[in-house]
Amino acid sequence: MVARSIQVSAQVSNLAVIRHFVDERATDLKANRKAIEDMLQAVEEAVANIIFHGYRYRPGNIEVEVWNEDDMLLVRLRDQAPPFDPTTFPPPDLTFPLEQRRLGGLGIHLIRKFTDRMIHRMTSEGGNELTLVKKIK
Amino acid sequence: MNIKVSHTQGRVPVAILAVQGDLDASNYQELIAQAQQVYNAGTRHILVDLGNTLFVSSSGLVALHSIALLLKGERLPNLENGWATIRAVEPRSDSSPQQYIKLLNPQSKVDRVLEKAGLKEFFEIHTDLAKAIASF
Repeated sequence: MVARSIQVSAQVSNLAVIRHFVDERATDLKANRKAIEDMLQAVEEAVANIIFHGYRYRPGNIEVEVWNEDDMLLVRLRDQAPPFDPTTFPPPDLTFPLEQRRLGGLGIHLIRKFTDRMIHRMTSEGGNELTLVKKIK
Repeated sequence: MNIKVSHTQGRVPVAILAVQGDLDASNYQELIAQAQQVYNAGTRHILVDLGNTLFVSSSGLVALHSIALLLKGERLPNLENGWATIRAVEPRSDSSPQQYIKLLNPQSKVDRVLEKAGLKEFFEIHTDLAKAIASF
C-alpha cells in the first residue's frame, strides 16, 4: 500500500519524484489510466508553478497528498510560498499566431483543462493549499 | 531525458532531435540548447521526434515554441529572467503551421497536451519519418 502523502523539497529534480508518487498512489486507488495521466499533467504544472513562481527557486517544501472520494481522485499540494490563488488567473489568449504569443503562461490553463476542479485556500501558516479534482469513473 | 541528434537530407538538410523520456521543467532548456547548437551549425529545419517522449509539460511546449522562433531567426529571450517575457514582434495574422520545425509521432497523451494548449494547429505532425523529411 502506497503512503497517502509525501513531502519533498521544492526543486525541479523532484518533479519526476512527485509524478511517480501520484502515479503509484492513483494506480493503487484503482483510478483509470486516462484520469491518472490527466492528473499527472495537472500536478506537474501546479508543482512547477510552486517552484518557479511561489518559492521563486528559494528553499521550501511541497507536501503532496493523494486520495479518493466516491468517484473522484484528489491531489492536494501544500506549500509555504506567498499566497497565490491560481483559480483567479485569467486564461491565455489562444487566438494569436505562434509568433505573437508569449512564451510560457500555459501552466494554469493546462491545470484547468486536465482536471474537473481546482480549489485553492490559504493555510493557517500563510502558505497555499491547492486541491486538484478529477473524476475517475 | 536524453536527446539523440541525427542529420538527414531531403530537399533540404534536416536535423532530427529524438527526445527520449520526459520533457519537463527540469530539462526543457536542454532541448532548446540542442536546437540552438544545430542552428549555429547551419541547420534551418528540425524534426522533433516525440515517438519515445513519455511526457511533455508546458515547459516542453516552451521548448517547441522557442525552437520555432529560433528557426525563424528570432532572438530567444533569456528564460533565466523569468516567464514574463512578452514577445514584441510585428503583428501578423498568419496562423499556418510552422515550416521549419515539425513533429514526428507524438504519443496520444502528448498530442492531447498540444491540443489542449492550443498549439497543435501550429505544428505539422507526421507519423512517417520519410514523409516528414520530404515535407520540408
